[in-house]
Amino acid sequence: MSESQTAVLQPTGRLNMVAAPAFKNLVEETVASGQTRIVVDLGEVTFIDSSGLGALIAGLKATRQAGGDLRIADVPEQVMTVLRLTNLDRVLRAHPSVADASHDW
Amino acid sequence: MTGEYLIEGLAVPESLNLLHDLLARVGEEHPDLDPGDLMLFETAVIEVAGNVVEHGRPPGSVSWSFRLTVLPERLEATLSDSGEEYPGGTWGTSMPDDLMQEDGRGLALATAVLDSLDYERTEGANHWTMLRARG
Repeated sequence: MSESQTAVLQPTGRLNMVAAPAFKNLVEETVASGQTRIVVDLGEVTFIDSSGLGALIAGLKATRQAGGDLRIADVPEQVMTVLRLTNLDRVLRAHPSVADASHDW
Repeated sequence: MTGEYLIEGLAVPESLNLLHDLLARVGEEHPDLDPGDLMLFETAVIEVAGNVVEHGRPPGSVSWSFRLTVLPERLEATLSDSGEEYPGGTWGTSMPDDLMQEDGRGLALATAVLDSLDYERTEGANHWTMLRARG
């Protein structure tokens, strides 16, 4: 498959209970449009809570069910800490950059 | 340096951002506070508050007050809400076994970043007390 099927999503600010539902919808719409390989650029996310983590997991499931995958890139310290504490770093491996995450699917 | 902060309002998702803003102010007014401690404390506060928003009954009409104290040796906060008694009065402090589960991590995450998280039901209100020692 070509890299044109890769979509890069860039949430900004706080990915909490307020923002997570819209982000989850965005991922689902992206998958529905045929882009099943999604890189989530977290570089501009200042804070994530368990709702935000849930939205990432929902996105991971949606992409995989459609034959694709979801990757995360440029992960800030608070997000990385929370991923480790919840063991979700096992299923959401952090890539250093969007470019790094965008090949070798 | 010590300091006390208080915020009151409705337990709705939008109020979470007011708590975030308050925590940011705490950081600005206490430059001696380790940013890592504050970050983890904020994580706990938002999870506990999010839990009240999600499970507080009746939904949308639960009010709360949040009191935070910065002490030389610790950060301490109590979130008191007017909702019905929290079911069972206790909660799961372990992460879900299924990594693909989308929810159920909130209070487990709060527990992981705090030295203590206590729940108490008194005088018709729920009180969640969070404590984290300063590094």
